[in-house]
Formats: sequence, C-alpha cells, structure tokens
Amino acid sequence: MKQKVTPFVVLGTVLITLFAILCLTPLIYMIAVSFTDSESLYISISDLRFSFDNFVYAIVKRNFGRALVNSIITVVGSCLLVDIASSMAAYGFEKKPVPGKEVLFQGYLATMMIPGQVVLIPMFVMINRAGLTNTYAALILPMVGAFGIFLMRQFMVGVPNELLEAAEIDGCGEVRRFVTIVIPLVQPALITLTIFTFNAAWNNFLWPLIINTRSDMHVLPVTMATLSSNSTTNYGMVMAGATLTFLFPFILYVFLQSSSWRASPSAA
Amino acid sequence: MQKQSGMRKRTRVQALIGMGYIAPSFILMMTFNVIPIFLSIYYSFTKFNMVSAPSWIGLENYQKLFTNKALGDALHNTLIYVLITVPAQTILALIIAAFLAEHLKNRFGSLLRSTIFIPVIVSLIASATVWNIMYEPKGGLINQFLGLFGAGPVNFLGSKVNALPSVAAVAIWKNTGYYMVIYYAGIMGVSSEIREAAVVDGAGSFQRFWYITLPVLQPITYMIVTLGIIGSFQVFDLVYKMTGGGPGRSTYTIAYMIYSYAFQDKRIGYACALAVCLLIVILLIHAVQTLCFKERD
Repeated sequence: MKQKVTPFVVLGTVLITLFAILCLTPLIYMIAVSFTDSESLYISISDLRFSFDNFVYAIVKRNFGRALVNSIITVVGSCLLVDIASSMAAYGFEKKPVPGKEVLFQGYLATMMIPGQVVLIPMFVMINRAGLTNTYAALILPMVGAFGIFLMRQFMVGVPNELLEAAEIDGCGEVRRFVTIVIPLVQPALITLTIFTFNAAWNNFLWPLIINTRSDMHVLPVTMATLSSNSTTNYGMVMAGATLTFLFPFILYVFLQSSSWRASPSAA
Repeated sequence: MQKQSGMRKRTRVQALIGMGYIAPSFILMMTFNVIPIFLSIYYSFTKFNMVSAPSWIGLENYQKLFTNKALGDALHNTLIYVLITVPAQTILALIIAAFLAEHLKNRFGSLLRSTIFIPVIVSLIASATVWNIMYEPKGGLINQFLGLFGAGPVNFLGSKVNALPSVAAVAIWKNTGYYMVIYYAGIMGVSSEIREAAVVDGAGSFQRFWYITLPVLQPITYMIVTLGIIGSFQVFDLVYKMTGGGPGRSTYTIAYMIYSYAFQDKRIGYACALAVCLLIVILLIHAVQTLCFKERD
C-alpha cells in the first residue's frame, strides 16, 4: 500500500511524536538529576556533571547495593521456578491423560480474576507461620501463577504427538523426551514467559514490602520507597536510585528490541 | 483381552506421570492462589490480630464496614480513579495504534512505538518517585514549565482537588504504551487484504477505522477494558508512594485501605472483610461486562 502524505498524516505524526517525547521526559529528567549534585530542583545544564557520586552514595550508604543483589537473586530464582514449573504443568495438562485435568485447568484460569489483595493477607499469615519471612523463598515461591501455565499450554498444543511417540519407540525415556524434544520446541513461549516474570518480580512491591521487613532483605522498589520518606532534599541520590531500578529492565528491553529487529528485517 | 489391559495399564502409568508433571505447580497454586481465597473469607468472619487465634464473630466485621465513613470515600475515589484512567489509556492506545498501523509503517513509526512502550517497564515505585519530584510545587519540572508561560505554581499532590487526577495521570503515562502494543498487534492481525479492498472501494481513513478496524478489535477492546478496570481497582503502589492516601482522604483507595487495616493496624479479620467486598465488586463488574458484550453480538 502506498502511503500518501496528507495534512492529516502530518498532524497525526506530529501529535504522536509529541506524545512519545512526553513519555520520555520524566526518564530523561530522572537521569539528568541523578548526575547533578544540586540539592535544589532548579537545575541548569551547567549543574550536570558526569560523576557517579550519587550512585556510589546510594549503593554504599543507602542500601541500594544490597537491594540490587536481592532483586537480582529474586528475579533469577523466580524466572527459573516459573519457567520450569509452568512448562512441566503445561506438558502434563496437554499431553498426559490425567483424569479431571480440564476442570483443574478451568479452576486455574478463574484464579486470574482474583485481585491480589484477597490472597495477600492469608499468604502473609501462612508465610509467617512457616517462619519464611525475610527469606528469598518468600519472594520467589508465590510467583508461579495461572498465566504462565496457560501461556505454555497454548504452545504445547503445537508439539506434534507423532514426534513424541516416535521418540518413545526409539527408546527415548520420559524425562529425556521432555527436556530434549518438548522444551526446545516451546522455546519462544519460554522467552515470553521469562520476560513477563522478570518484569513482575523486578517491580513487585506490596508483597516484598510486607513480608521482608529486614532492610538487608529489601528489594529495590522497597528500598526506593523507604528512601525518600527519611531524606527529602537529596534529589540527586533519590533519582540515582530510581535510575538504578530502571536500568536493568531497560537493558533487557533494548536487547530484545534489537534482537527482534534483526530477526525480522522486513518489519519496515 | 491381554492387549486391552496392557493399554489400560499404560494409560494409568501415563496418568501418574502426568500428575508428576502437574504436581509442583499444583502445590504452589493451591498454597498461594486457591487456599488463601477461602482463608480470606473465613478470616472475614473472625476477629484476628495475628497474635491470638482467630475468634468467630459472625457478620460483625461487615456490619462495622458498612458504617465506616472511610469505606465510602475509598469506594468513591477508586471509582473516580478507574473512570479517569481506563477510558483515557484505552482511547489513547487505540488512536495511536490505529494511526501507526495505517499511516506510519516505517522505521520512524516503529521507533515511536518502542518509545511509547518504555514507561511500561519502569517500576511503579520508581515512576512515583520521579513524578513526585516533577510535581513539586517549588521548582518541580512541571511548575518550571508552567512558569515559562506565567502560570502556576500549581500544587499537584498537596491539594484535595488535584491529588487524585495527578496520580491518575502517572498511571495513564505508564499504561498507554502497554495497551497500544496489544492494539497494534490486533490491527496487524486484521488481514491487510480486507483493508486494501476497502481502500479500493474508496473508503476513507476514518471510515476504514470506524467500520472495519473498530468492530474487528472488539474482543481486544473487551480484554483491554477488563484488564484496565481490574488493574485500576487495585491501585496501591502509586498511592502509597505519592500521597499515602492524603491529603485528607482525597486519594484513599480500597487497596490502600486494606493495606492500612491489615498491616498497620493488624486488624486482619476486618481487612479480610474489605478484601472480600473488593472481590465481589470485581466479580460483579466482570459479570456485567460479559453480559453487555454478549448482548451486543
């Protein structure tokens, strides 16, 4: 389809470009302030200096180092657990004659409508009873949900049964079939699930806030939230913390964007 | 005969293996997603403070709840918040996606798409922190900008009138890109043959949007509105970080109310009654929406 340039198209392009700039402005501002040592908000270009003082201060003095490590451990653990548990469950649901599996699956789907606050309080009571407060397990174990199992099952449908049967006849054992045939075939879905889990675990706030109260077990958003309540004027350091929180998902995003760009050069 | 029983045995073994695959997530799903729902309902009929065992008090929590003035405020604020964020983010996302898919299918268009998506990956707490500083009455970026035109300074988060819309604006900033990408994928899924045929038939840009794109996108719109309502109903992080429910109770929402009763006052039973009410409201919205969308078909 040939694209005509009309005043409507020009106006629309300008408006959407303005909206895109509006989307970026807070983040550019965040990064700019994190590189100034001004305690006032009236910053000018001359206040900008490329020193990492604010970052060093936030990491060393304000617990961001520890929080960063905790966040990374939580995210890696969550992604591994969710990927493994979800793909196993999806395989069982789709390829095995488990009695009553469809009813159970519908039940799983129904849990997606339940608001988080409804399960939060009993979860808090249970984790407390189990003595798991201030542990990584408390942050990681609840990450498994119906969404991942649902997503993986959508892709399990595409794994041909003939292939699994042929492998079985060739003497390929149950576990080996799953690991060497099924998993590679559903890899695109696993990548999608990993991204979703990464984001959910990295940005999770309310649950880590209530369950891991010791400051050496805080994750980044919790440290971020406790930060400005006791230091309101050091904007540079606060913004350095926000930049740190933003950095890792952003790197992942740019990496995925550029790799999907390479994968589909015809996108233009 | 022999063969048949062999088959049956095989099926039984396969079923057992299947259960083995399902078991790990089953245990976690039950522990963290299913059992807590019923526990929440149970706690809502008890007096429970985490220290002593829950004691049954029947409907007392619910009776107290309906005479609590704060609940009315929380419900009112949450509804207003939903009514601001959901239409704004849905319509913006739809218009941008439709325009990009129709008129800007080039590198610049995909750059715009990537850019508008970036706020989605920022955590709510980091967003709230940055916007808090931008909203500062003295020297915040927005008031500096308004000052260029001689306007302001506006007190965004400190005034009862402005606080809730200011929080909602952050949510719209953060969510639009997410729904835009979903819409964009949906529009690209509409066979380009249909659209090209419409072009040949002389349908203009608006006509194509109104008569072809919009009806085809209805299931996606349904999903986006449902996700939007459920998400906005549970707004917590932004309120916690930006206003703490204030000033007064002007940004006090249901999710924030549950949090403060359960984890600040340790009134677990009372907070659970509130959570059960939230659950009922969300299920009702879901039912009404399903009915509405069925009727229109």
